[in-house]
Amino acid sequence: MTTTESSDAADRARRLQRVAELLAEAITPQEVLDAILTDGVKAAEARAGAIGVLTEDGENIELLAQRGYDASVMTGWETFPLSAEVPMSEVIRTGEPLFLASVAERNERYPALSEQGQDGHALVVVPLAVEGRVFGGMSLSFDRDIDFEPERREMKLTLARQAAQALARSRLYAAEQTLRERMTFLAEASELLSSSLDYNHTLSQLARLSVPGLADWCTIDIVSPQGEIERLAVAHEDPEKVRWAYELQDRYPPDPDAPTGVPHVLRSGEPEFFPTLPEELLDEAIGDDEELRRIIDELGLKSTICVPLIARGRTLGALTLIAAESHPHYTQADLALALELARRAALAVDNARLFGEAERGANAARALAYVADGVVLLDHDGRVHHWNPAAAAITGVGEDKALGCPVADVVSAWNALTSHVPLVPPGAAARPVTVPIVLEGRERWVSVSGVEFEDGTVYALQDVTEEHALEKTRSDFVATASHELRTPLAAVYGAVRTLRREDVELTSDDRAAFLEMIESEATRLAKIVDQILLAGQLDADAVELELTECDPQQVAAAVLESASVHVPESIDLDLDVDRAVSVRCDENKLRQVLVNLVDNAVKYSPQGGRVELRVRSSNGSCLIEVADEGLGIPSDERDRIFEKFYRLDPQQTQGVGGSGLGLYICRELVERMDGRLSVESEPGKGSRFTVELPLRR
Amino acid sequence: MRVRVEVAQPIRSTPLRRRTVSVGGQRAWRCDARSGTRPNPDSAGRGHANVRGGTARRVLIVDDERSIRMLCRVNLAASGIEVLEAADGRQGLELARKERPDLVLLDVMMPELDGWSVARELAADEETRDIAIVFLTARADPADRRLGEQLGGVGYVVKPFDPVTIGDFVEEVLVRLERGERDQLRRAISSERER
Repeated sequence: MTTTESSDAADRARRLQRVAELLAEAITPQEVLDAILTDGVKAAEARAGAIGVLTEDGENIELLAQRGYDASVMTGWETFPLSAEVPMSEVIRTGEPLFLASVAERNERYPALSEQGQDGHALVVVPLAVEGRVFGGMSLSFDRDIDFEPERREMKLTLARQAAQALARSRLYAAEQTLRERMTFLAEASELLSSSLDYNHTLSQLARLSVPGLADWCTIDIVSPQGEIERLAVAHEDPEKVRWAYELQDRYPPDPDAPTGVPHVLRSGEPEFFPTLPEELLDEAIGDDEELRRIIDELGLKSTICVPLIARGRTLGALTLIAAESHPHYTQADLALALELARRAALAVDNARLFGEAERGANAARALAYVADGVVLLDHDGRVHHWNPAAAAITGVGEDKALGCPVADVVSAWNALTSHVPLVPPGAAARPVTVPIVLEGRERWVSVSGVEFEDGTVYALQDVTEEHALEKTRSDFVATASHELRTPLAAVYGAVRTLRREDVELTSDDRAAFLEMIESEATRLAKIVDQILLAGQLDADAVELELTECDPQQVAAAVLESASVHVPESIDLDLDVDRAVSVRCDENKLRQVLVNLVDNAVKYSPQGGRVELRVRSSNGSCLIEVADEGLGIPSDERDRIFEKFYRLDPQQTQGVGGSGLGLYICRELVERMDGRLSVESEPGKGSRFTVELPLRR
Repeated sequence: MRVRVEVAQPIRSTPLRRRTVSVGGQRAWRCDARSGTRPNPDSAGRGHANVRGGTARRVLIVDDERSIRMLCRVNLAASGIEVLEAADGRQGLELARKERPDLVLLDVMMPELDGWSVARELAADEETRDIAIVFLTARADPADRRLGEQLGGVGYVVKPFDPVTIGDFVEEVLVRLERGERDQLRRAISSERER
């Protein structure tokens, strides 16, 4: 070995060492490629270098990077087949390095290249392999012809080994990085998808999340309930372009029968993947539309992935990823990611839809649970399919007992309840029928309507017992008022008819009795008419009061005085006054109130007894009490006696007549004079009504 | 309630005439009030039409209203009918059991025992079930008429009514009962409507 040679060797070793250090520092594939193609090429004393790797499908070689070659030479060599009869293809195929001393040798070996790069010299192509697996090749071009000695060959191979290791490591790192990014992306996407049940909104956000990391363009299309394709989202980094894309969509709506693209994916449920978008596909899509060609050219579509959104066997829509101006061509890994993304998105959409349906169902159930009307759903055999809580309350039969059973078995009164209910078809106006039924010993009035539809009959039950009671009160009033009007009228009319009889000689006593009858019954008639009119005026708030200073003791005394004329002998009337007081009120109305209370006291004391009128003052109020020892008022009716038309014993089995208006009128009048009317009572012992009026200061 | 009765009777100067007797019911009352239909003084006045086999008809009037009782008493007596009076349902029932009148003029809204209950008890007792019941009431509701029919009434007179014709009405009811027209009388109660 010569000194020069040994120093050359030492130099090469140093340079190799330097490259090894640089490669060790390089982390990303780009850094590794930079290190190889600058320092590596220099260390190999080459003028230019290039690195190619097998594509994913293993059928092509993709040139990752080059340094030193003229761009014109490299045109057309970005990707070339593994099967090509060119040095790098052969090296990668065989795994054997290739050392060509000159262009002549190259041309001899590869006649196909004899037309190209004729100004070159020596060429070395070494395989890049890790653990015996060739994944690419490195070519080195020199500026002179070189007959490579073993030592120099070994140096190139060492460089190739170092490069291969570093490149493989960096690619692994990059792949890992990508994988991590994808995992992160998927995690983010999943989080996004589960964040909201508004899947339209969520999918739009998902599309936005996908750019620019996953695509230059991301679109999401959904099949509408009507079976139409709806573009749900278009995402691009530039919002201006998104707007433009929507305009484009409007101008060129998707053809549902298109052989490729979203319609095809939606029809077939299969993904569509174009690592490189074939020109002829675009040509076909564009046709003769020059405008469209300009647009497509401007878009610069490179590679697309379109995956269906499928949940439970149903294609809900499609997710499209497009690589255009910045994103690299898509790989199988991208497709896998897109499929996974689509799977998750479809699941989320499906969940959201299911939840929506469940929620609507739950809302309906909730509504049925709280609605005041009983809702009963029966099938054609009369079995209970739905029985809401109101139905349970009205019928007294719980849902647990009713569900699944023939309704007539669980509610014995069912047929009585529904036999007169006309069943109407869906959409027709329900025709409720009000029926009385006895449930658990109580009489209930239930308004029932029924709708008959395809799967059975739905009944709505409404407990109208209260309304019915009110109605009954009214009709009781009509009966009472009718009685109260008709009885004196019968007497007056009958007396006149009898007096005018020519065929009968009446005694003078009878004549006098009939005349008196006419007078008293006419008075009675006038009184009841007055009451009905006054009640009407009170309702209309049309009663005018004349408030003056008055002495309630005098009023009370006068009322007792006139009462004493007509009360039965079994009644003792008493007046008990405290000391002179003065109130501001309408004296006539106060008299009317007291007359009514005293009349009531007498009326409800059929066995006689004491009726006492007391006037006293207490705490700034004047209290006028009317107490009796009569029938009294049951406690549960005590509040209701002041209601209009309310009467104790409306059937009058106790023989106490009245309009049902007296106490209503009394309370209304007292309250209009800023007073209060209250009652205490013990059934069988008597009642005490108290008029409380503010004392005049 | 209007009962159409065809009776061949001389009325005043007209020797033979079909006569309609209307008692009770607003329509009937108005109509009678205008037309002034009266019973014939020769027949009703002396009462011989209401005496059969020498025994006078006996009518129990049960009403808590003194005025109504008096109207019935005076006018029925003018038709030769013997009148019993009770001022409430309880008393009425006792009297009916004791006296067995031919007919009861029965008020509904009364103290102690209402008219419905009296009718029920009379019908439930074998001794009193044949007594004819004519309700005389202020209750004009169709539901009340139906109840009256259900409780076995053979007449339903709504107050106000013309007491002058009550005697003829009672007689007519009794005659038709004797003819076996009980069902027709009963049905007429609820089919009659106030117009």
